Amino acid sequence: MKHDSLRTGLLWIGPWLLGFGIFTVLPVSLAIYYGFTDYTLLESPIPVGTQNYERMLHDEILGTVLWNTAIFGVLSIFFGSILSIALAALLSKPARFQSFWRAAVFAPSVLPLVAIAVIFKLGYDPDPEVGLANQMIDWFTFGAFQGPNWFGSGFWAMTALLLMSLWSVGPAVVIYLAGLRDVPKQLHEAASIDGVGPVGRFFHVVLPMISPVILFNVIIGVINAAQVFAVPLIMTGGGPERSTYFHSMYVYDQAFKFGDMGYASALGVLQFAIILTLTGLILLAGRKLVYYRGA
Amino acid sequence: MTIDAKTITRRAALGLLAAGAGGYAAFGPERRRLQSGGRVVLDYWEKWTGHEAAAMKVVVDRFNESQGRIFVNYLTMGGIDQKAKVAIAAGDPPDVLGLWNRNLPFFSQCGAIMPLDQLKDYGITEASYAKAVGPLVFRGGRQLAAPSTPSSIALYYNRKIFEEVGLDPDSPPRTIEEFDVAIDRLTILDPDGNVERAGFLPTDPGWWSWCWGGFFGGHLYDEKTGLATVDSPQNIAGYDWYQRFPKRWGLDKLRRFQGAPIDNPSPYRNFFSGRLATTIQGPWLPMFMDQELGPGNFDYGACPFPVPAALADQPPYGPIEADILVVPTGAKNPDASMEFIAFTQRPENMETLCTGHAKPSPLSTSSKAFIREHPNRAVAVHEEILQSPNAYTTPWITGWAEFGMALGAGLDQIWNLKSPSAAAPLAEVQLEASEILQREADRRHRRGQPDPWEKA
Repeated sequence: MKHDSLRTGLLWIGPWLLGFGIFTVLPVSLAIYYGFTDYTLLESPIPVGTQNYERMLHDEILGTVLWNTAIFGVLSIFFGSILSIALAALLSKPARFQSFWRAAVFAPSVLPLVAIAVIFKLGYDPDPEVGLANQMIDWFTFGAFQGPNWFGSGFWAMTALLLMSLWSVGPAVVIYLAGLRDVPKQLHEAASIDGVGPVGRFFHVVLPMISPVILFNVIIGVINAAQVFAVPLIMTGGGPERSTYFHSMYVYDQAFKFGDMGYASALGVLQFAIILTLTGLILLAGRKLVYYRGA
Repeated sequence: MTIDAKTITRRAALGLLAAGAGGYAAFGPERRRLQSGGRVVLDYWEKWTGHEAAAMKVVVDRFNESQGRIFVNYLTMGGIDQKAKVAIAAGDPPDVLGLWNRNLPFFSQCGAIMPLDQLKDYGITEASYAKAVGPLVFRGGRQLAAPSTPSSIALYYNRKIFEEVGLDPDSPPRTIEEFDVAIDRLTILDPDGNVERAGFLPTDPGWWSWCWGGFFGGHLYDEKTGLATVDSPQNIAGYDWYQRFPKRWGLDKLRRFQGAPIDNPSPYRNFFSGRLATTIQGPWLPMFMDQELGPGNFDYGACPFPVPAALADQPPYGPIEADILVVPTGAKNPDASMEFIAFTQRPENMETLCTGHAKPSPLSTSSKAFIREHPNRAVAVHEEILQSPNAYTTPWITGWAEFGMALGAGLDQIWNLKSPSAAAPLAEVQLEASEILQREADRRHRRGQPDPWEKA
């Protein structure tokens, strides 16, 4: 009977296992293998040992893309977390049309990234008659300040991408909302009785209680930031002067534009290793910083 | 409730079979169905859309009607070079593939395309093509591709604005020095120095950023030595001239000038609206004029792009490019593919195609009717460049995509005035390009492939 159950179970998950094997295990294994080869995609791979990895040590563009990705990751996660926690805190309060506001915060996340990128690109047009961003700067400052040329310099192009990354905080807000609901009311009440004000309660009660959720969102944020691709590709193409050229774009270019699948695979393995290491470090830090109720 | 393992096994097995059959029906038998008519079916992948795709469709239909043995199944798509790489690597390539000439070094070096030697049997040789077009598709005496539509890039100008400022529209500037004077006369600045009308802007539309050194006699790569020559004095002169525009009018002012009016996303909007008096463009420009402004509503002129006075007496300088047809390695019916490609190279078909694209013909001679009825009344200027020994294109290297990207990053620095002259950014590009070329050489040696200049 037990044997039959195992067989039945395997049969049920068989299609998934098959898909996982073909579409995940096999490509990852091949990427690791190709990382040790000279492979143009159109010719058979030739083993070159660790040459692709050695090349990384002298690759200045790789340094640039890793730096850009790190800057984007740190800043987008930092500001994204603050904004999403703030929005979740606001949305958790009873208010008129609460469901509408919640839907409004989440709605941008269901729009296709490509469409959003195209719209934002127009929004960042330097001409205030065209670009909404500069129109707003003009309006809020009563014409005292001229909006920047968003894609004209590395600083402003990165800023434009960071601002745009805040557009899709919806999923994180939903998760934070669920986390906030789980904060026991008794703790709020006990803190209030002890004379702790709303700000103190937020920092000393709410934040520790939702720290597992913050940890989860930060890890997801790191994974997403490390793989940022479509939006900068459409909005800036990596420019100006490679200031918004990110790791995933470099991997893609090496593989499909430059025809160096071997180096692209090695870069992909590096990306995987970085994400894995960062996730491990965050989890390690989480042991000290995250409070698990009942643990 | 108990679960009968045997029933589930049978259901699952049947389900899997049904899914497989569904997948096969949806994705599998396309080719077989097309072959059912008894004709050999050629899959021809092309990159064009709109009027360009339609022009080739006319030629394909003509071919399909001209005989009963071969049927060309014409498919157009985006990102064709990348899709083709994957299809060839997977062993299921199309029979005929439309690429750009810049793809040819990589595809041929990797052995991903078949030489078109058989075209000789149809009377096609290097001499069949315009002087600058032959070298785009012939290498080491072998034909690797067939040109479909070529283009050469020229200076277009608004004749009305020329007249307004007292310039003779029938005598456009021939030298850079004359052009600089004309640009100043054509440009209108408001009292704050904002550009209301630009005489010329090298970044509008900015599609041929690799071309500026070429007008000054520079090359990006020396085919005889296999070395990059990005920081040659001629290239520095060319890109210093390129940098004069942000220096002259101010970077921020130029950026605002080039901001896109939301109601007109056309890449030609500044020229068509009269905000730009002259522009560097391909032969298709008048076709878009007619489409956007109405037939004959824009009075234009065209001439080869000006060059320094020292080069002005030579045949015209100008960048050229070509769409090409290749037969991928592994194509199922290479003989039939050759027959189709040979058909496209016949003068009458080539002229139909090039007229549809509003481009010059790649052939050594064009008919009078082609020139007379062409949608671009200045097509002779483009043909003249195609016949010139001073026409130039992207270097014949497998790593052009990476080389070009490095150049683009250098040009960003030049345009954004990060350096007072083009020399330092071009020196950086030179270093990067040298590394790219060294990697290419290492790869060739590893695979026992000859260096391209050995074959040239």
